[in-house]
Order: sequence, then structure tokens, then C-alpha cells
Amino acid sequence: MNERLQTHLTPEEVELWATGLLSAARTFHLTECAECLAVAERERKLLVELAQLKRFAPSAEFAEHVLAQVRIPTPSGSHNG
Amino acid sequence: MVRWAREGFEPAFRELVHRYERPVFSLIYRMVRDRALAEDLAQETFVKVLNAIRSYKPEYKFSSWIFKIANNAAIDHLRRRQIDTLSLDGSPTARSPEEMHASAPQLGDQTESPLDEVESRELGGAIERAIARLRPEYRSCILLRHVEGHSYEEIAKMLALPLGTVKTYIHRARNELRVYLEGARE
Repeated sequence: MNERLQTHLTPEEVELWATGLLSAARTFHLTECAECLAVAERERKLLVELAQLKRFAPSAEFAEHVLAQVRIPTPSGSHNG
Repeated sequence: MVRWAREGFEPAFRELVHRYERPVFSLIYRMVRDRALAEDLAQETFVKVLNAIRSYKPEYKFSSWIFKIANNAAIDHLRRRQIDTLSLDGSPTARSPEEMHASAPQLGDQTESPLDEVESRELGGAIERAIARLRPEYRSCILLRHVEGHSYEEIAKMLALPLGTVKTYIHRARNELRVYLEGARE
């Protein structure tokens, strides 16, 4: 086994694994290292929770309030509104 | 869409607000945890961005630009609030403990507002409470990375931080979140 496979996964590699982007060679390390596998599983659980956080909506009048304060530029460079 | 807005096409402004209102509002809301305040800061963000649309540099992602301004608005607010909180100890120019005590506001005069039901429902889950316990810098990074899906490099540019610092913040934030969540579940 080469030296690279024996090295524990870095936090970035764990993130790549959790998102399915880690190389096959590094993923192989998880089949042999229970410590990294446990860390990776915990990390994946957290990333799934974060990814599932909902996006909140502002009030229904939000866009109107914003647009009422915006000066729309005209092609000549001056502003309307 | 941004090009049309730069040319003064009004529907493009409306579309930009429509596209970004939820992600921008959500980021700010999770930073300040106050719906009304988050709405004001999000509004301020959009007005600033849309009024400066002509100075927007197309080589920079529009989403990075608007999130940068939104994050700055939230962080500035949190810093101001921290200063306000510190000032409860009394005047910084007080020369003795007596002067400091005399210049401190009387907390007993203030009544705490009841916890808003909507905020409690929206931000009351374990993961939301864990995020709220992070330092603001960690909170920004974790939200931009794992909720909004920006790359580490984009976050570094947005927050004007070295790439290594962003990686460290995100790594530490994830560790802290795991610890909080494991503690909450025990």
C-alpha cells in the first residue's frame, strides 16, 4: 500500500467525500481506516443538515419597498425614480 | 439580467430582487436572528447594490457582490450591537467605578420583549441554535459555503480574507456545530 493511502483524510477531503467528489484512490482509505470513516460519516450528516436548511422569505412587500428606493439608470447615465 | 439592469430595463431590477431576496434575507436573518431587522438590512443591501449597478464589474459574480454587501451589513450591525452592549457598563470616559456606575443605563427600566413566535418557530431548531452560537465570522463562512454553496475562493473574495483563513474558519465552525449538536442530542 502506498504512503498516500495510509494518510488520514484532511477536512477538505472529508468534505469532498461527503459530497461524492473524492477520488477513488482516497475513498479507498475509508475502507481501511475506521477513524476516518467515523469522522466522515459525522461530517456527512452535518453537511446534509446544513444543505437542508430552508430559505426564508421576507415580507410580501419587500420588492416594492426596495424598488421604491432605487434610481433606475437611463441609457444616458442619468437616473429615473 | 444584470446587463439589462445596467441598461435601465426596469423589469430586470424586479427580477434581480425576486431571484436574490430569499437567499440574501435568509443569510442576514440567520446572522442577526431578528426578522424585522433582517428585512431592513436586506432592503438596505438591495438598494445599495441596485443603485450602484452601473459600477458592477462583470468579472465578479453578481451573487458574490450582493452577498458581500449583505454580509457586511449584518456584521456591521452585530459590531454596533456589541458596542451598545459594552456601553451598558457605563461611560468609557468614567474615571472611577462610582462614575461608571452612575453613567450606566438602568436595566431595570427596560422590559424584555416576549420571544416572537415566528422567529422562535423559524430559528428554534437544534441546527439553527447551533449556528447562532458560532462567532459571526464562522457563521458567515459556514452559511455561504454550506447553505449558499459558494466556493472557498469566492468566500475569501467576498469576505476579503485569505483563503487559508476561510478554510480554517469553516473547519472550526463544522467542528463546533458537531459538538453543539451532539451535546443537544444527549
